[in-house]
Amino acid sequence: MDEERAPLFNKWSYWYALVIGFLIVCIVLFYLLTKHFS
Amino acid sequence: MSRPDWIVLALTLLGMIAYGLYKGRASKDLEGYFLSNRSVPWYMVLLGIMGTQASAVTFLSAPGQAYTDGMRFVQYYFGLPLAMVVLCISFVPVFHRLKVFTAYEYLEQRFDLKTRAFTSFLFLVQRGLSTGISIAAPSIILSSLLGWNILWTNIFMGGLLIIYTVMGGAKAVAYTQQLQMIIIFGGMTIAGYLVIHRLPAGVGWADILHTGGKAGKLNIITTGFRGKSFDWNDKYNLVSGVIGGFFLALSYFGTDQSQVGRYLTARSLTESRIGLLLNGLVKVPMQFLILLLGVMVFTFYQYNREPIFFNQAELKVLEHSKYKDSLALVTSQYEAVEKERLGAPGGDAAIRAQRVVAMQKEKEGYKSTIRRWLNDVGEDSNDTNYIFLRFVTDYLPKGLVGLLIAVIFLAAWGSIAATLNSLSSCTIIDFHKRFSPRTLSVEKEYRLSRLYTLFWGVFCVAVAQLAYNIGNSLIEAVNVLGSLFYGVILGIFLVAFYRKRIGGHAVFISAVIVEIAVVILTVLSRKGIVPLSFLWFNVVGALGVIVLSEILQSFMKIRRLRNR
Repeated sequence: MDEERAPLFNKWSYWYALVIGFLIVCIVLFYLLTKHFS
Repeated sequence: MSRPDWIVLALTLLGMIAYGLYKGRASKDLEGYFLSNRSVPWYMVLLGIMGTQASAVTFLSAPGQAYTDGMRFVQYYFGLPLAMVVLCISFVPVFHRLKVFTAYEYLEQRFDLKTRAFTSFLFLVQRGLSTGISIAAPSIILSSLLGWNILWTNIFMGGLLIIYTVMGGAKAVAYTQQLQMIIIFGGMTIAGYLVIHRLPAGVGWADILHTGGKAGKLNIITTGFRGKSFDWNDKYNLVSGVIGGFFLALSYFGTDQSQVGRYLTARSLTESRIGLLLNGLVKVPMQFLILLLGVMVFTFYQYNREPIFFNQAELKVLEHSKYKDSLALVTSQYEAVEKERLGAPGGDAAIRAQRVVAMQKEKEGYKSTIRRWLNDVGEDSNDTNYIFLRFVTDYLPKGLVGLLIAVIFLAAWGSIAATLNSLSSCTIIDFHKRFSPRTLSVEKEYRLSRLYTLFWGVFCVAVAQLAYNIGNSLIEAVNVLGSLFYGVILGIFLVAFYRKRIGGHAVFISAVIVEIAVVILTVLSRKGIVPLSFLWFNVVGALGVIVLSEILQSFMKIRRLRNR
């Protein structure tokens, strides 16, 4: 059951990378927003 | 509230109960009642997870939090996406493969019965009490602001949902959470639109961001360092958000049955994973937008009269105290500043923002005086939770106020319904069925499950009524209560998943010792002896169990070898 194929990307590792990558993008954007308007 | 508001509120709540009863017709066995026959699609898993986590206080308190303290609260959620990934890799496949009803069932298979019962017991105590407090917190705010009777508010907040939760079980919970989240998102979006719509002509996003930024409300990222040293007592910063938030989210989503019960209802492992991972994607932006709403309300009050204190009920208390005359003086001085501020000519966004900051400091002086007096007469001086709702009742059109109040109720219902379902499942699966000498029939199990759901519903409303006297520190009480147990429970699960050589005895003894240590640490922290924010208790509890069980296991192994 663990080997169920992931939708869209085929591999679950791509999903995990997407979630972590998106978090990093959010943090960078928030940092820029904080800097710009402080 | 006006008549249209009452009609909208009543129709929304009654409609939700009817919808829950209609959709909650499930097969009359434990699999149907607690797991919806494992047939729920990923999008309902996602909305269920989000609806369970987002309580009424999330929508009441978060905008006020941004209004007073800025948007740094969003960092609290930075560990959540990382936790979703770890859960999908480790926890969820095991739960699905073993086809468990509760997360704690797995602990008996991995360790022994006492570890399972101990962990499930910790969950029942923690969740039962904190759910009661979660009912009381929004009830106090609503009853204070709208003058409602606290007992009836508690009953409506925590009691009405019992009807569909008892009758329909997990299926009713899943379907109502889906509809609740749609209404909540719709209501909050309309509220956001109306804040901007009510700003003066020519004032837009640039002004909101400039004003918020100059007043320190756009402090989204903070490091937690003061000079060269890290402030361990600082609640929300990048480090505590990523590390502390990760441990908190991992324990909440991986070991709290109210969440585990949501993704166990999924029709497959893939659907569970997708629901969790999408939660990891949308949670941070969603929380950002809710907090941004607080900054928007802050900007709104830069162009409109801002009350000296949002909770009118507390001001009335001061009016009848020894501070009566002083209050009248401070209020008139505050109103003079407000009049001068609102009468001043406009200008470009940056110049206006600077002026806002200067006057904000003066106003803050008056507000802190009010808070000091309230503390002195033993009243609640925390105004944060009243800001958004006061804006709603003062400035939103008739009918929409009712909708926003309904949003608060529905947010509470979604979270509480899932919890009651999980409390009942643990009571019958981990205790009643496990320890009963008699084998129960399917019909009897089903009837008992409904009775336990009813019992926990009544218990939580009773706790809410008793918790009324704690006042506004209730929200903090929920967080502290969670941190008391979450770390230790997570530690037990982490040992179960990642340290295969450790057995039941070592982990059980470690969990008991560390739990006592965390309680002592919490008391010391509350007294200011140990400067540590509650988020770190989860880290201490989890790592404490892992390290101590490693040591105990090694010690037991040496003793066994000596005895041979």
